[in-house]
Amino acid sequence: MNFILSSLIFTPLLAALVVLVMPAHLHRPIKAVALLGTLVQMGLAVFSYVNFDGGAFANGQQGYQFVEKLNWIGFSLGNLGLFQIEYFVGVDGISISMVLLTGIIGVIGIISSWTITRNVKGYFLLYLLLLTSVMGCFLALDFFLFYLFFEFMLLPMYFLIGIWGGPRREYAAIKFFIYTLVGSLFILIVMIGLYTSVIDPVATARQLGLLERDMAASPDVIRQVQQMLQQGAISTQGMVHTFSIPAMMEAANFLPDSLLHVVSRVTLWDLPIRFVAFLLLLAGFAIKVPVVPVHTWLPDAHVEAPTPISVLLAAILLKVGGYGLIRIVYPVFPDAAAYFSVLVGSLGVLSIIYGALNALAMNDLKKLIAYSSVSHMGFVLLGLASLTTEGVNGAVYMMFSHGIISAMLFLVVGVIYDRAHDRMIQNFRGLANVMPAYTTFVVIAFFASLGLPGFSGFIAELLVLVGGFSAPEATGMLPRWLTIVAVFGLLLAAAYYLWALQRMFFGKFWVYPELRESAVITDLNFREYLMLVPLTLLALLFGIFPHLLLDKIGVAVNGFSELVLQNGQEQLNIVLSSMVR
Amino acid sequence: MNEQAVYLSETIDAIVAGAGSLVPELLLAVFFLLLVTLDLFKSPTIKRLLPWLALTGLFASLLLQILGGYTAGDELFLNLLLSDGLARYAGILFSAAGIFTILLSLQNRPLEHLQQGKGEYYALILMLVLGLNLMGKSVNLLMVFLAIETVSIASYILTLTLKHEKRAVEAGLKYILYGALSAGVMLYGMSFFYGLTGTLNYSSEVFRIGLLQANTLLVTVAAVLVFAGFFFKISAAPFHFWVPDVYQGAPLPVVALFSTGPKMAGIIVILRFVRPFENPLAYADVQLFLGIAAIATLVIGNFTALWQDTPRRLLAYSSVSHAGFLLTGLLAFNTDYTLSVLFYLTVLLFMNFGIFLFLQLSEDIFKVQKLEDFAGLGRAHPFIGIMALLYLLSLTGLPPLAGFMGKLLIFSNVWEAYTLGENTLLLTLLIVGILLTGVALFYYIKIPYYLFFKRNFREENLVTSLSDKLLLALFALPLLVLFFKPDLLLNWMEQLLAQTL
Repeated sequence: MNFILSSLIFTPLLAALVVLVMPAHLHRPIKAVALLGTLVQMGLAVFSYVNFDGGAFANGQQGYQFVEKLNWIGFSLGNLGLFQIEYFVGVDGISISMVLLTGIIGVIGIISSWTITRNVKGYFLLYLLLLTSVMGCFLALDFFLFYLFFEFMLLPMYFLIGIWGGPRREYAAIKFFIYTLVGSLFILIVMIGLYTSVIDPVATARQLGLLERDMAASPDVIRQVQQMLQQGAISTQGMVHTFSIPAMMEAANFLPDSLLHVVSRVTLWDLPIRFVAFLLLLAGFAIKVPVVPVHTWLPDAHVEAPTPISVLLAAILLKVGGYGLIRIVYPVFPDAAAYFSVLVGSLGVLSIIYGALNALAMNDLKKLIAYSSVSHMGFVLLGLASLTTEGVNGAVYMMFSHGIISAMLFLVVGVIYDRAHDRMIQNFRGLANVMPAYTTFVVIAFFASLGLPGFSGFIAELLVLVGGFSAPEATGMLPRWLTIVAVFGLLLAAAYYLWALQRMFFGKFWVYPELRESAVITDLNFREYLMLVPLTLLALLFGIFPHLLLDKIGVAVNGFSELVLQNGQEQLNIVLSSMVR
Repeated sequence: MNEQAVYLSETIDAIVAGAGSLVPELLLAVFFLLLVTLDLFKSPTIKRLLPWLALTGLFASLLLQILGGYTAGDELFLNLLLSDGLARYAGILFSAAGIFTILLSLQNRPLEHLQQGKGEYYALILMLVLGLNLMGKSVNLLMVFLAIETVSIASYILTLTLKHEKRAVEAGLKYILYGALSAGVMLYGMSFFYGLTGTLNYSSEVFRIGLLQANTLLVTVAAVLVFAGFFFKISAAPFHFWVPDVYQGAPLPVVALFSTGPKMAGIIVILRFVRPFENPLAYADVQLFLGIAAIATLVIGNFTALWQDTPRRLLAYSSVSHAGFLLTGLLAFNTDYTLSVLFYLTVLLFMNFGIFLFLQLSEDIFKVQKLEDFAGLGRAHPFIGIMALLYLLSLTGLPPLAGFMGKLLIFSNVWEAYTLGENTLLLTLLIVGILLTGVALFYYIKIPYYLFFKRNFREENLVTSLSDKLLLALFALPLLVLFFKPDLLLNWMEQLLAQTL
């Protein structure tokens, strides 16, 4: 039990090492090892999901389960005192949903990769490395560890797009790399600022001798250390700086004279420096989500990436952005989160509408779906910005549900591309006549995505919109018109999906003449059923029984939104009043 | 007469008493003389032994400095040299750089075919390392000048090792001209300092007090002049113009040495020299100058690298940009930046030698001249490709490689210094430095781009030697270790610095 999270992270890595030592020409064994690795990871993910106690209290700061904490790097840096980087992993309701998602999508991606023929060894090696780093991101509770995994994601992705991608793969790969790297540099700036400002009260108590080495810390000791810190009674030699994310969430752990302390009067561009830090983090994660106007890497990356990598990108990589906002940005800077809620909400709504409008205009089916991803991820931002329990629940639900549904969507695009080597909407007509089973799944995927009741997407959108509408009274965060505008996004989604459906699948069968020679239009094969059927079932399962997910995430989300709201308003008053002084 | 005799005997006593602290340097000098003498013999057996002899000397000096125990305390040697923990650690880095250079030279094709001057080549490397050691130890303006000139003269000749190549001659000439100019400027600045303070020992209290009493403008002008000489050594803007030409003309082992040795020594010299200027109120102008120079170096290095189409020139500008990062680290006044800077230097040593070894392999075996020539190399030789990728990512500063750790430590210090003084310059440096990492990725990634994404159309079945592969792994391993356990090195360095400072 104790090492379940580490096993989750390192199982794919282990498989990758096995693949590394295998001879490159053994294609099937390599695939088998990769499949086995992801199957084990999925098993572990399901196991930890089932064993996760959804009823236990959690609010982001406390209440993590399956925690593993080991000292990793520790050194003293002169005036700054001791530094500590920990191997610190744990799950709460929010991350456990992402863990489950990653486990499932990992296996689906491998099945989808079964047709890869070029440089098989390299491909599966990178794929498994990618899974390790994504899983690590969702489990890390130490900012350094998180950042390590966050950055390490870029590299396998860069090569997976750049080597196995479509015609403009090199351009797309570099664009993806540069965009995300710039985003993570913004995050790096704030990370440096945070860890120089924050101490770990428990480790500091040990350092000061207030606590025996092996004793667990009582709340009294922690409070005592925090009081001493705020009074400036701890010498720099006694301080233990930390990257621990939960420690960063408590204002009392900040050094009183540090720039990021709530009473810091330092401003930058006429904004309190905490607000600037929030904006930098927001920008960093927004690139990953992606949020309009920093979304432009996504359509390129999606269009050029091979199908399984598109699946991975849409289903789990994008979630890291939203997850980062929930795990780090909001609870660490709740004051700024409250202050900028309209900005975040507007960005969300902008993404919803702009993404949907773009999707409407696309001729390339894959681009259409990429833009629909942008549109749907906008709901995550909107739900989060509302800071209501419903809204945040909806945001997490949307991340999970979009993970399942977008995987389906990219898989169905892959199906037609495999057969015709083309996916322009205008090049096909009446596909339903020759591919009835395929058409069924396309219809399911499209309707699930546009939020038909009965599918998980409906629950997510419903929760977000309810949260958005109740926000003005419940939390005072968002103006109501924003949510009203967001509703139009649903209409647009219906429009672009139904229109695409009508153009491509209905009517008399016709294929663009130049494609007729090479295209072999056959219906789904067994491998494709193997991917689409489970995903359909999952989308239905979580659409009909939402409590399966809500029971696990509910408590953590409640705790999270209460914590952010309460800390946010308290700290916002302090920040603003120290500005006035 | 009698007075002079007393003075002389006192001096001799001081030399004898302090000689213990100079054992590594004496060792290097002895080996240098040995090499020069043996080079006179025509026997091929002896000629073949020369590199190994040089290697022995460097190894001996490396081990001596790692083990320690030779220093005669932290007293100044004749008011010129200080053998403290900093100098000892620096000496370790220099010896390692020398060893790596010789290891690279042994694998280098053009050097293998060199008809004459092989012995003097290895002797000069020893000479250069000796000069670096002296730079690391100097606390006296005159001594710094002499040490820098020792290094420079050795460098000029090493640049010209391949005399028959036109590029080499051009590079050597440019190098000498810039070197002479900056040396003159530096000397002029030093004379100012002597006039203002009456002492050449810049670690002394007299120097500090003299500076505080002197005219601020004069001090600033003198400091700018002296820094010109130092900047030349660390290839910081605006004294970086020699860098691309020399990197193109010199043999690659020498380039690797230039990109690490003199840069490391120059940084140590600056590290010692800026200590009197730490007061932000009295020396705002000096600090502003350094800050602007750091920003300029970062910007020029990173942006010019974008337009390069040969790997040598690209790495030349990358080396300029690293000088900018190091200068940034030195500007985090009143924080404990020494450790971070030393850590960065250590990382720089491994990644630069790694990438230049990779480049040497590509040039010698795969005839790479331009970036396009890398096309497909990584696919054909995955091991070499992956090693190159590791070095390049470390140079960019991405996890999980030590280059990231180095930058993280330096930026932490800068943030801390900003918290202490709220000096906007530092914040600018921090933001510029971090964002330029994004630009850096843009040019570093070009190499893996060609290595892995482009197809190779040459049907050649070229093999690389096992020793090359081992060396590549040798340079890459510390980069991983220092990312995952940087505290191993940091704690040791801290002990080292605390012991003898």
